[in-house]
Amino acid sequence: MTKYSILIIIFNLLFGLTGYELIQKMETRLKPIDSKTDFTMTLTNKKGKTRSCTLRSISKNDGARQIIWFLSPADDKGVALLKIEHKNKLDEMHIWLPAFKRVRRIAPSKRSNSFMGSDLSYEDLSSRKIDEFNYTIIDEFKNDNPTYLLEIIPKKHLETEYSRHLTWIDSTLLIPIKEKSFDKENKLLKEKYFTYSLISDYQILKEVRVKNIQTNHSTSLVFSNIILNNDIKNNFFNEKNLKYIPN
Amino acid sequence: MINKFVKFAQHHALKNSKKIILLAISITIFIGSGIRFILLDDNVMNMLPANIESKRVWEDIVQEFKYSDFLFVVFGTKGQNVLTKEKLAIAWDLTKSFGLINQVEEVISISTINRIDSDDGFLEVNKVMPSKYLNSLEIQSLKDYLNSNSNLSSQIISKNKDYISIIIRPKNEQEFSNLVASVKEATKPYENLYEFHYGGQPYIAGTVPQLIQTETRKLMLLGLFIMSIILLINLRNFSAVCMILLLITMSLVSMLGFLGWAFYFTDSKYFFFSFINSSMPIVLLTIANSDGVHMLSRFFREIRNKQNKTIAIKKTMHKLLLPIFLTSLTTSAAFLTMLTSPIPTMSGYGISIGFGILWAWILSSVFLPALINLKTWDFSSKAFLKPSILEKLVNSISNIILQYPKRVLSFGIIILFVSSFGIPKINVEVNLINLFKPGNIIRESTMFLDHELAGSMNLLIKVEGDIKDPKLLNQMIIIQDYLETIPSVNTTVSIANVVKEMHKTIMFGEPRYDNIPNNKDKINNLFTMYSPTGDPEDFGSLVNYEYNTGIITAMMHTISTREIIHLNDQINNFLISKTPNVNIEISGLMMFLKDFVNLVVQSSITSIITSIIVILCIIWIFFRQFKFGFLSIIPLISAVLLNFGLMGWFKIDLTHFTALLTAIIIGVGVDFSIHYISAYINHIKKNTSKNNITEKVINDVGYPILLDVFSNMAFSALIFSTLIPLVDMGGLMIFAMLSTSFGTLTILASIMEINKNKLYKINQK
Repeated sequence: MTKYSILIIIFNLLFGLTGYELIQKMETRLKPIDSKTDFTMTLTNKKGKTRSCTLRSISKNDGARQIIWFLSPADDKGVALLKIEHKNKLDEMHIWLPAFKRVRRIAPSKRSNSFMGSDLSYEDLSSRKIDEFNYTIIDEFKNDNPTYLLEIIPKKHLETEYSRHLTWIDSTLLIPIKEKSFDKENKLLKEKYFTYSLISDYQILKEVRVKNIQTNHSTSLVFSNIILNNDIKNNFFNEKNLKYIPN
Repeated sequence: MINKFVKFAQHHALKNSKKIILLAISITIFIGSGIRFILLDDNVMNMLPANIESKRVWEDIVQEFKYSDFLFVVFGTKGQNVLTKEKLAIAWDLTKSFGLINQVEEVISISTINRIDSDDGFLEVNKVMPSKYLNSLEIQSLKDYLNSNSNLSSQIISKNKDYISIIIRPKNEQEFSNLVASVKEATKPYENLYEFHYGGQPYIAGTVPQLIQTETRKLMLLGLFIMSIILLINLRNFSAVCMILLLITMSLVSMLGFLGWAFYFTDSKYFFFSFINSSMPIVLLTIANSDGVHMLSRFFREIRNKQNKTIAIKKTMHKLLLPIFLTSLTTSAAFLTMLTSPIPTMSGYGISIGFGILWAWILSSVFLPALINLKTWDFSSKAFLKPSILEKLVNSISNIILQYPKRVLSFGIIILFVSSFGIPKINVEVNLINLFKPGNIIRESTMFLDHELAGSMNLLIKVEGDIKDPKLLNQMIIIQDYLETIPSVNTTVSIANVVKEMHKTIMFGEPRYDNIPNNKDKINNLFTMYSPTGDPEDFGSLVNYEYNTGIITAMMHTISTREIIHLNDQINNFLISKTPNVNIEISGLMMFLKDFVNLVVQSSITSIITSIIVILCIIWIFFRQFKFGFLSIIPLISAVLLNFGLMGWFKIDLTHFTALLTAIIIGVGVDFSIHYISAYINHIKKNTSKNNITEKVINDVGYPILLDVFSNMAFSALIFSTLIPLVDMGGLMIFAMLSTSFGTLTILASIMEINKNKLYKINQK
């Protein structure tokens, strides 16, 4: 297997696509400018107990600007979270607490912190900057669903909870369909599965399932009511809009 | 039936001596091979039956939350600041190493806990210690945070800030001894640099069983040595002593092997070898010793009369096989009454000892006579020609009883009467830490944790209801405030504390908001607010997934069982009067100990009463007269009263160990009374004169009884132990032997002497 992998890597280096080229191709894939979607997040702990909430999200620029409103459970309805990513300074986060009638700024989270108690970290949710990783295609499957197996290793300077990722990429659609992420001790930490649907020529995430192998906790996100390219302006992402859930 | 067995035994012991010996050794080896299946169990919880209230609540808590008994590792140097770069880095490394141990669920330390800050309007949930090496600013910030959060600080830093505590939460109650070994392996590289203290129930449970087994083994060997010397002085024959020791050893091996096989076939926790089982060898040893001593001393006596080995063996077997059978049967039955014990381990204990006693009976009845038969004895030696010191003492005792039976009886009754006033003074103590003498490293470490940190004993209060309801959260605060007024409680923690802290934080740290918000929506908002930066799983040990059950954990000093019972009543009264509408259940180590006390007392009383009734019935059936049954239990009852009375007067605690002494008292006591009654009946049958029947009986059985008593007293060597229960057992062994022989040779003997006319009539009928 090792010899075989080495041969593929050498072959790819000489004649085929490199990991970096594959990622570049993926980056050029058509993406919507903004999106509005509802999603149900279901958390399942190691004892099989589940907790669900429904949220509405409006985001722009691949999630660089985003507002999330809690729709259910009734206890949480109205709580809203605004996130604005900045290139050269710390991200901004604000939370609207309707019972206190106050907006509070939240300190920018560590990338490895869990997003709302789920198995997705803020690092998982943010898009990877292409030059911060090294990429190697370590296998290629040419069956009914042709895929590349890409190894992604963060560069040393990058603050991350992972040592590497193994990502299965649909070689036709150039979208990730499965990923295994390993912790700093190179032990398997998470398994992620992605399902897409085609909406207005875009491959849009329909479902994400994540399992933390080490804690045996899992999360599923199911997206619905997806509206794309609704011409959301940048100034929509402000504190005032946290207080009202858009229809 | 018995006569047939006696003839069968006589025939084979004398005609097929070598085969009998070979067969007995082979069977012993086979049964003994089960020792390899013995499962050492260090879990105190297994001693509690499943239906006990505190255990049921505990299991619910473990199921719903996490395992809630902690192992504490504390390090530092007295008087030196522990919040330094180097020591914090060591805490970081140790936390990481402990986290890698298989049995560890979670490590709570300065490097893993979170802080919630409200800084310049920001709400921030972050690690108290963000990295391994902190700079001086970060250390100062950490100090400031700990100073302003005394509740948190008391759990992880000592009062004088000179020790760091690392709290280890085990996954479950399995393999505490392996956990302790792994923890100590991790701390080993630093032990030369700093003082280390360990504590908590998992630590004690993981250390004590091994300690008790090692001490018991060591002191038992010493006891055996002293026993051999006492036997040698009195029997004055090396081979005879070796035969008794061989009989004892074979019985022990078979008993332990049986326990192993029983576990192998049943896989039942009844047959775990817990630290209580460490006393099994001593119990069986005293009983097996009795059989051997009676056989050999009678053989020596018969030789002195007959000068013929075969006749002497036959006579010995004829006279002793029935009483030895009866003593074995009654003692086994007495131990089998442990099946009624509410403590599961005690059932396996009783069954295994019962088996050991029956095997000791077979060995004494067939194997020992065969050995005696094979040995060439020197009949001209002093051992056969002259009476020993104890035999001379027996003669004096018989003379006194014969001359002053009523005075002896009155004297005995007065002693019993005075002694029984000590019974209400008995203190029941089951707290493991009180197993150790002051100065013992485990005791001192626990005391250190109690004085310098939050303590090592916990009390868990499970509160059911809507945990986001401000009314319920305020009730939790009321309970916590009350608990913190109790001197032995150092600190309490619950989800209500977290809600208060978040409330204050969201309101810019204003102290007036250090309370529970007044409506549920606000509480909901606080939990939701925590989730974007912190992990809601952080609350996993405080509230369940559905937020309908919360836990209040109170960390306490180690207190005595008596204080526990008092405290339990106090807390229950408070909960009933102040929080009548809240669904509350209490568990935790404190409650187990309280329930365990009741079990120990209940178990002891049930065992004593049932044993006495069973023994009465067996003797009644075998001697076909109720009076003999009744007489047989008189020494038992007097020995039990005397022993417990002396425990009260001498302030010896009733523990799960010392309670087992009852078993020895009954086991040995019944042997003595049966031997006495059996010899008495034999003499009536032989038409021995009424006037000197007591003298004859005491001459027959008094010597082996005293030899048994004095040789068993060798186990008073246990008083040299560093473990208090073993010391108590050593002391009580003297009481037990004195009280059982006193019961038979004074009270029973004088009653029978006074009533000899009636007893003769009964037999003639």
